[in-house]
Amino acid sequence: MEKGLTVRRIVIAGVLGAIAILLGVTRLGYIPVPTAAGNATIMHIPAVIGGIMEGWGVGMIIGLIFGVSSFLNATVPLFKDPLVAILPRLFIGVTAYFTYVGLKNINEYFAIGAAGFIGAMTNTILVLGMAVIRGYMTFGVAATVALTSGLPEAIVSVIVTLAVVAAWKNLVKAGKQKSKISG
Amino acid sequence: MMSAEFELSRNITIGQYLPTDSVVHRLDPRFKLAAFVVMILAIAICGTYVGNLFALAICIAMFWVSKIPLHYGLSGVKPAIPFIIILATLQLLFYGEIARGGTVYFQYGFVTISSESVRLVLVSAMRFVEVIFLSSVLTLSTSTTELTHGMERLLGPLQKVKFPVHAFALIITIAIRFVPTFAMEMEKMMKAQASRGADFGTGEWWRIIRRTKDMLPIIIPLFNVALARAEDLILAMEARCYMPGASRTQYTHYKANGKDYAALIISIIISVIMLYIPW
Repeated sequence: MEKGLTVRRIVIAGVLGAIAILLGVTRLGYIPVPTAAGNATIMHIPAVIGGIMEGWGVGMIIGLIFGVSSFLNATVPLFKDPLVAILPRLFIGVTAYFTYVGLKNINEYFAIGAAGFIGAMTNTILVLGMAVIRGYMTFGVAATVALTSGLPEAIVSVIVTLAVVAAWKNLVKAGKQKSKISG
Repeated sequence: MMSAEFELSRNITIGQYLPTDSVVHRLDPRFKLAAFVVMILAIAICGTYVGNLFALAICIAMFWVSKIPLHYGLSGVKPAIPFIIILATLQLLFYGEIARGGTVYFQYGFVTISSESVRLVLVSAMRFVEVIFLSSVLTLSTSTTELTHGMERLLGPLQKVKFPVHAFALIITIAIRFVPTFAMEMEKMMKAQASRGADFGTGEWWRIIRRTKDMLPIIIPLFNVALARAEDLILAMEARCYMPGASRTQYTHYKANGKDYAALIISIIISVIMLYIPW
């Protein structure tokens, strides 16, 4: 992979960022669950996929887009705080990338799945952690939410990440990638 | 109204711009963004009653100054009111132990209501409304192009520390540009799946696993379509010899005038007042 922001990385960051925004604005990214958080989300998945496919820079940028979109579209007062909505989301793609890179040599599919899981858990833990630090919920409530909606979110994340990245990597290997200049 | 579930494009309100040609509309977007950030930070920090009431009054005044009808802001707040009430009640009842300090009004078992917890609850609610109002004014008075340009110019100095400002602005532009496109794709896919008998959105709200499983045939193709379009765009950009990081001149130029500086200074003064009111 070339260093820095290639055309490929710019476009993929933009496109996955668009999906993150779309899932939030159309409420498709929310699955209502009966916990204090109100919704389980799949909106972190573009950040995870971007991190795995194009590196931690892209993952961080998509996380930022996700965070700002979440901040602007929030109905729950919890997410109207930029430190809770934006700051933790920066790390979703980063942890996903490092998990993937670290485990890549063991087994590609396992690495992708693990990255999906870790990325989702990063989102859950850091956001809830910031919520507790900023005083929006007690530690007990946060821990409950982490388990009841965090774990299902992580599982869904693994499924979607595996499906999308595995399909995409196969395409790249088979040379169906259209532009040969960058990436 | 089944079709309403499929009509996603109606909900895309990014860049909802209301051209009313007010003073605020004509301000330089860089200054608007800077003023916005300053005030948001002040709101996030300020924890006093009077400070927040003052901020609330200013936010409402902003609607008047920018000639935007207040109901745009209220329509942002309206869907959140049930959440505010529930969260406020929960915080009030169960949060008392954490927010130590202040006089305790009521104590029974683990329920503690003190003046601190009341303050926290009211201030959170006010903060929430203020942020919604302020961001509504910003997005309603500034078109997305202006916002992206403004952000790009503001971050410009970061270029010196190798932060890829132009690439970043381009990413945002691409993202915003593709949102309506993907909404349409998604709508097409949902209708296509439904016409072949797929069954989503009809699971009861509590059947979480079922609803999640139903979303998978939509989400995964959405990513595939998006990435296919990404490949097209990458090819197109490179075929036109786009070099990221090359130095570029800019098409639109923004000249700052007195009004812009005045707006920024006013927002700083407001923030300082907000933070130094002691109640």
